[in-house]
Amino acid sequence: MATTESIQKAYIDYVLTEGKQPQSVYVFAKKNKMAEEEFYRFFGSFDAIEQSIWTSLMQKTISEIRSQEIWPQYSSREKALSFFYSFFELLKGSRSFAVYSIKKHKTIGTPKVLEPAKDIFEEFATGILNEGLESAELNDRKFFSKRYKDALWVQFGFVLNFWIHDDSAGFEKTDEAIEKGVNVTFDLFQRSPIDNLFEYGKFLAKNGGIKEKMGF
Amino acid sequence: MSDNKPKEQNSIPTSKVERSAKFVTTGLKIGGNYIKHYSKKLFNPDLDRSELNEDNATDIYQSLSELKGSALKVAQMLSMDKNLLPQAYVDKFSQSQYNAPPLSGPLIVQTFKKYFGKTPEQIYDKFNIRSTNAASIGQVHQAELNGKKLAVKIQYPGVGDSISSDLKLIKPFAFRMLGMSEKELDVYMKEVEERLLEETDYELEVRRSIEFSIACKVLDNVVFPDYYPDLSSKRIITMDWLEGIHLKEFLATNPLQELRDRIGQALWDFYNYQQHELRAVHADPHPGNFLITPNGKLGVIDFGCIKVMPDDFYYPFFSLTSTNLFADKEETIKAFRKLEMILPSDTPQQVNFYHELYKQMISLFAKPYITDVFDFSDKAFFDDLFGFGEKVAKMPEFKQARGVKHFIYINRTNFGLYNILHELKARVKTDTYKPHVQELDQVE
Repeated sequence: MATTESIQKAYIDYVLTEGKQPQSVYVFAKKNKMAEEEFYRFFGSFDAIEQSIWTSLMQKTISEIRSQEIWPQYSSREKALSFFYSFFELLKGSRSFAVYSIKKHKTIGTPKVLEPAKDIFEEFATGILNEGLESAELNDRKFFSKRYKDALWVQFGFVLNFWIHDDSAGFEKTDEAIEKGVNVTFDLFQRSPIDNLFEYGKFLAKNGGIKEKMGF
Repeated sequence: MSDNKPKEQNSIPTSKVERSAKFVTTGLKIGGNYIKHYSKKLFNPDLDRSELNEDNATDIYQSLSELKGSALKVAQMLSMDKNLLPQAYVDKFSQSQYNAPPLSGPLIVQTFKKYFGKTPEQIYDKFNIRSTNAASIGQVHQAELNGKKLAVKIQYPGVGDSISSDLKLIKPFAFRMLGMSEKELDVYMKEVEERLLEETDYELEVRRSIEFSIACKVLDNVVFPDYYPDLSSKRIITMDWLEGIHLKEFLATNPLQELRDRIGQALWDFYNYQQHELRAVHADPHPGNFLITPNGKLGVIDFGCIKVMPDDFYYPFFSLTSTNLFADKEETIKAFRKLEMILPSDTPQQVNFYHELYKQMISLFAKPYITDVFDFSDKAFFDDLFGFGEKVAKMPEFKQARGVKHFIYINRTNFGLYNILHELKARVKTDTYKPHVQELDQVE
């Protein structure tokens, strides 16, 4: 009996050995001694398998970090960092597949295989960002606060690319990239001198005519 | 300093705060250099990094040479001006690492998972995710296991890489600015790089810490934490938490002379026992590496930097300080030649000149060894030392590279020790662990 996992496994094995997707579902099913029909009970296409591999990595990471004892004590920033570290730690186990899957899609923007994973990521990110906004760890800015999650996704894409090209022992450089990158992103989410400058500008605009009042 | 005339220096930063401020500004300037570089690169993608490197190196060098004052004066003296650069590096690195931002909680968890496959909570009964202290290239956390209070040291990622790349970056400029040949400077640079890289190897540090704490058990009033190799890895060290206060806080409590003497004696014994009995020495006498325990003992908490002394350095050097070798000019010059303080290419006048100056220098350095008891509060002695260092630093004869590479760390160690003892105003029995120089005859 085939399962989601067994098909994922067989597929990964195939693409990593052959370097490309199977010619057809028929060929793939026959090779794995199952009916083509059975395949479709689980997946609609090969890309769907890849998508499911990414989403299960994402889900596994999130449930793992949430089960850590320290999780409730973390700030939003730390929760995001924790996600990044754990995700790339987990991804190490499927590095060859990840590299194959990402490199295959030479598109600008989010690769198709990552689209469902992106939804999970965004849901997770929105959750921790809202916590941060509520606790005033992050600065609530009109319009912009809604885009914070996009900035985190961009960060995710950046780190993923960095990791693919990282050849340092133990991917230590990726750890550095996460530590520095995520921190910078969260620094931008926090109240910054720009906010104060903006406030000041607003104040001056509201209190127009100051020049006259001061007698200049 | 050949054709590149350094900018005039109106004042020398004196206090520690000013010195670190110096490094912060350098950091900012370098940050600025990167911004400059990348904004230029936006318009000209072909731009290579050489201009950036040059900007950085100039700024680093500028700040290093401005530091010539109190911090390096001592080191310069026996280390002869050429060592200024590596010495300054040592300081710069420890300084800049102190300024490193603390590791985030998740990175700590990640580091543990990477090396042990477990989170800190799964390993220890209690683990404080917020760090309590900065160590030279990492940070220290408090933990508890089986009722024991532990100190867990975690290293910043990528430290090793940045050491090598920083050194590589500065090299070509150092050659040019010091007017030294690559071969001359390389020897010293390598020595510094080796030691710095060793410091990033925590597995090595645990092994050495255990070795040294066992070897030094014979010493009175010196205590070491226990180390736990099973709970340590390349980036993590677990050891006992030593209760105690640092030197500065200790001095602020206005300790009795008797207690100062006891701590000073412990320090003296610790260093001289290592130098003369173990021939390898804890080469980082930074006050932060010591604690004074509540019952008045000296706690040693960091064995990251160890300098091993080979025989061909040990015997000629300590026979200069601890025998009446100076009475015999020929033999003295022979020893100087072995230590490369006098070079084969020197003219007879030069031989005389260096002989005279090094003799003065070493006699001054060896003063504490000559009497059985030495009072390190003696301001006149330190004024002499600093004054001599200053004088030598200005002499054109000392611009050139002289002395074997081992001097860098041995000088740093002994002058660091002298400095701490001076701060302690301790009276120390200096004949406890004497150099063994009698083997000299057998070696020859």
